[in-house]
Amino acid sequence: MARYVLLRLLQAIPMVACVVILVFVLLQFTPGDPVQAIVGDYPVPPAFRAAIVLQYHLDDTLPVRLLHFFINLLHGDLGYSYQQQEFVATLILQRAPRTLLLAASAFVIGVPVGIGIGLISATTRSGNVDRFWTTAVLVGYAIPGFWLGQLLVILFAMQLGWFPTQGMAPVFSRASGTAFVLERVRYLALPAITYAVYEATRVARLMRASTIETLGAGYIVTARAKGLSRGAIIRGHILRNSSLPVLTVMGYAFGVAMGGAVLIETVFSWPGIGLLLIEAIRNRDNQVVVGVVLFISLAVIVMNLIVDILYGLLDPRIRAGR
Amino acid sequence: MRGMLGRLAGTRYGIAGLLIMLVLVLLAVFAPVLAPYGPRQQVGISLLPPSRAFPMGTDNIGRDMLSLVLISTRASLLIGVTAALAALLVGGTVGMLAGYWRGTTEAVLMRLAELFQILPVIVVVLFAIALFGSSFWLLIAAVALAIWPLEARLIYGQFVNLRQREFVAAAIVADMPAWHIVLREILPNALPPVIVQVALDASLAILIESGLGFLGLSDANMVSWGQLLFPAQTYLQSAWWMSVFPGVAICIAVIGLNLLADGLNEVVNPRAGQRLVGLPE
Repeated sequence: MARYVLLRLLQAIPMVACVVILVFVLLQFTPGDPVQAIVGDYPVPPAFRAAIVLQYHLDDTLPVRLLHFFINLLHGDLGYSYQQQEFVATLILQRAPRTLLLAASAFVIGVPVGIGIGLISATTRSGNVDRFWTTAVLVGYAIPGFWLGQLLVILFAMQLGWFPTQGMAPVFSRASGTAFVLERVRYLALPAITYAVYEATRVARLMRASTIETLGAGYIVTARAKGLSRGAIIRGHILRNSSLPVLTVMGYAFGVAMGGAVLIETVFSWPGIGLLLIEAIRNRDNQVVVGVVLFISLAVIVMNLIVDILYGLLDPRIRAGR
Repeated sequence: MRGMLGRLAGTRYGIAGLLIMLVLVLLAVFAPVLAPYGPRQQVGISLLPPSRAFPMGTDNIGRDMLSLVLISTRASLLIGVTAALAALLVGGTVGMLAGYWRGTTEAVLMRLAELFQILPVIVVVLFAIALFGSSFWLLIAAVALAIWPLEARLIYGQFVNLRQREFVAAAIVADMPAWHIVLREILPNALPPVIVQVALDASLAILIESGLGFLGLSDANMVSWGQLLFPAQTYLQSAWWMSVFPGVAICIAVIGLNLLADGLNEVVNPRAGQRLVGLPE
């Protein structure tokens, strides 16, 4: 097992390196002055310009620049946002827990609901039940998350006044203890539900397809031949085997979610990584844009690594296969 | 191709998808004739609720929402379809090269495809737009840049399979040039599942563009459904119609393309989704 983990770790390193190179190459294609491309559309004081040229070795050849791009990153230095007067890494670390909270809530609600719908849809005796859920899932899939967010705000925040329209907490709050938690939950509810619908529709589609595939497997024939009841087959054989591929995909999706649901965070002004990215793009604060993109890639790669290792723990066949 | 259309119309989802897309394309083509007003024309007081004169109300600067939604059909569909085709062209070429020549070409190209798939699609698009801006063509290039790996992997898989078939061996023995084998022998056989993916990609592209429009990052010189949702965000309290109607239009287009893809999938592989054993009653 230790060998497997080590192997997977070693495989992840070149991936990270490649992503960094890809970002570096894309940056080279940016039109105009490289210093301006790093700072964004701001007048750059000469001293700051000189510091950047020195830090990124902009006067040197391409390989040297790439090398120093790496060295800076290895020092954990994602650069300095001239506009926000703050280190990019600090900005990202401030936002990450908020994105984590939103994403985790959405997955905790969305994934079980999606698995349930997919399972019902694939195993029901009634064609109508299957059609109902398949249609509902298709509609849910077609609704852009940010638009669903707007609709929920119109209905539940503005018309009914049950939830706040946006933000993560009141500007001024004296609540503590349980009241504090409840207050935060009210702010979290609408964005988390919007996000959960998005995840649930994707999970439901995957789960339905995966369950239908499981239904054709040899061990289902065996289970039937043994005379097991419908419920026993679904619980004992189908649920677990069909959930595995879904959980892999969701592991990956959770890595992606660390990048923040850009659109949903914007609708609800949820101050996470996604909103940071959008603000940076709007303000042409490219140093932050590059930092966030690198952070998201790293999150996805690490999450994939964790999923693979968990998979190896759960399923000995995978360990042996490598 | 005609036979395919006929069979498509015979599937339950295919016919629905075909009809929806047909209506949308007709609306897009005849939008200037059908729309009661121009897209930049102020026709009444701002933020009028839906009424007989303005069935979808007016927006924050007094334009007719119905006309705007109709005109937007053009940009949204055009971007969806063009980006999907661009992704097909790039991904298809990569997939063909990797799947036919294998070896080093395969290793390099397919790792590159995987690399692009690490980042979430929307982040790739946003990154490209942040660096290069968002005019109409750049937008299409950015979306294609984000979704080409889907096409590449699919076509690659097809080529790896078909490459081992007898008719390819026969063509090689007959000393046909490589381009002939790739484009005339293998490609036509590889296409059917690819068409399904193109329909799905187009729906994805429409969703991405509406997201960008909503963020205010789409091409400012055109009108699309997503762009109508950008000002709507400010007026959620006073004018729900600014948000509701463009959103419904996006949903209809995405549903239409997905139904079309489901129908095509049924035609391309008729046995998919058939339950082989099933459960006891």
